[in-house]
Amino acid sequence: MTRSGEEDRAAYVSPEDVRRLCEFLYRRTGMLFAEDKRYYIDRRLHERIAATGAQSFQAYFALLRSGLDSEVEHLVNAFTINETYFFREDHQLRCMTSDLLDAVIRTKRPGDPIRIWSVPCSTGEEPYSIAIWLMENFPDVDNYQIEIVGSDIDTRALAAAADGVYGARALMKLSPALIARYFESASADGHRIDAGLRDSIQFTEVNLIDARAMAQHGRFDIIFCRNVLIYFDDASRRAAAENLFDCLHPGGFICLGHSETMSRISSLFRVCRYPDAIVYQRPETERDHD
Amino acid sequence: MPLVRRDIARPTTASADEAAARDALRSADPDMRWNAARALGADPASVASLAAALSTEPVPRVREAIMTALMRIGNEESVKALLPYLREQDAARRGAAIEALQALPDVTAPFLSALLQDADSDVRILAVELVRTMPAAEATRLLCEVLAHEPHPNVCASAVDALAEVGTRDALPALEACARRFADTPFLPFAISIAVARISDGKG
Amino acid sequence: MITIDRAVVPALRVLIVDDSSLVRMYYRDALEKAGFEVEQAMNGLEAMEKALAGRFDLLIVDVNMPKMDGFSFLRELRRSRAPAGSVPALVITTESGEQDVQEARIAGANFYLVKPVAERELQSYVAVLTGASR
Repeated sequence: MTRSGEEDRAAYVSPEDVRRLCEFLYRRTGMLFAEDKRYYIDRRLHERIAATGAQSFQAYFALLRSGLDSEVEHLVNAFTINETYFFREDHQLRCMTSDLLDAVIRTKRPGDPIRIWSVPCSTGEEPYSIAIWLMENFPDVDNYQIEIVGSDIDTRALAAAADGVYGARALMKLSPALIARYFESASADGHRIDAGLRDSIQFTEVNLIDARAMAQHGRFDIIFCRNVLIYFDDASRRAAAENLFDCLHPGGFICLGHSETMSRISSLFRVCRYPDAIVYQRPETERDHD
Repeated sequence: MPLVRRDIARPTTASADEAAARDALRSADPDMRWNAARALGADPASVASLAAALSTEPVPRVREAIMTALMRIGNEESVKALLPYLREQDAARRGAAIEALQALPDVTAPFLSALLQDADSDVRILAVELVRTMPAAEATRLLCEVLAHEPHPNVCASAVDALAEVGTRDALPALEACARRFADTPFLPFAISIAVARISDGKG
Repeated sequence: MITIDRAVVPALRVLIVDDSSLVRMYYRDALEKAGFEVEQAMNGLEAMEKALAGRFDLLIVDVNMPKMDGFSFLRELRRSRAPAGSVPALVITTESGEQDVQEARIAGANFYLVKPVAERELQSYVAVLTGASR
């Protein structure tokens, strides 16, 4: 058989193979790819088959099911846009100021703390976005002690976050007025976040599955935990979800990434549907039995 | 700037006291039991304590944390502690145990042949769900045996569902024979036709 | 053959909650043939997410599912007191014991069928429970 014939045979993926893969992805991640989106899968599937050196769809599917080499993570990565930038998924920020904070302040007196956690915070775009959004859109921003914490397992990312320098791509959703207001300087490297804002965010190193390190951070009113839980194995995901639950005040909220769902992660949280977003809540009162 | 910054202490390097955590599993305070379960996920010596706690734990989130700890330990003793829950009356506890066992396919595998022949058809259905997590060739073999001998259509239905996901071409004769056996029942012939299509169109 | 103008008479919507893709396919086939619009969820947590968006005329709910079983889902849904929380629910499950039927009723099910259900039977139960047959 000629070399190209072998390649053709190895690369062949039937429509039923794609259905089988889609059912697996739906079970594992909650992501549903309807018939009309199958072409979207095809290309990425072929990329991953080639990248893993799998000789057939069957071999690739076996690798995927086995959980080896985090292949599910690689495949999901191929579907999600992992770029981070300011005001990414801003519908959740909108939900925060339209709905979540109303619920949060119901139990607070003026001057009380409101604690918000961005974990993982990566290179800082998310915690700074939360800060800027609140200052621009939360009318009660001066009435409470707002504390924003950004945490990540990656210390280089944390160093970059503390440094606060961003290029044009990261700022693409910010208006010139916002950039002028919250960034203090421009250089060849980009714009730097205003010193006052940089200093008011606490950046820490943390591993989501380390219960003790997580507990050190205390309890929060809102947690943004976007696009990381999907990559853990089942047991680690549950442990991380339990730690996040523990780090919420009763009634506190957690926001996942837009293509993530708690329905594949943990049954600890209640789902809350708001006009701008689906978020999850630590129940206000606990059921002490089924 | 209305934002406030407060320092967060780094955890001490003092090692976790597993014995204290095991005691705390029996505390009257659900939060203490919750923290204890979460602290024991790396401790194989705690399986017996976790299993004992699981059998009496009324608070759902503490039960979840105990299950997570058993999943993370994931040894034969954990699996043995979880298997009895396949017979639980309560759907939530049954489901939680299945989920934990599904995360431990290699350790659970040796127990499956016996479970697939259990007297209770509901246990056999749950056992089929566990077979789904095994490598394709072994799963196909076990599931074809089920299809050949299983009298209960709902157990066969679960096996067909599992084969639709993982079955190889070796499953085709057993599927076709099952379709003939249950030709006059609702659902099974439909399900088998889907499974056959899934398996046949692929190249495996 | 009567053609229904869906702009005037919107289709009745059914949410199918079952962890088996083949069961979901089977019900969807049967119900779409009978003119219903169908969505799906594979466990009780996902069902909560979808049901709370409202606008379902009927839920079809399996019991044994990962993450959150069917009874827990129904209890949670009825507890939520959302408008969507009172949608009729048909439990279809492998369990046939009297205890299971009782538990279903207490959890908030309106009707109970034991698997396997024939296509015709499903279509007529759904028609009755959604008022489509009126």
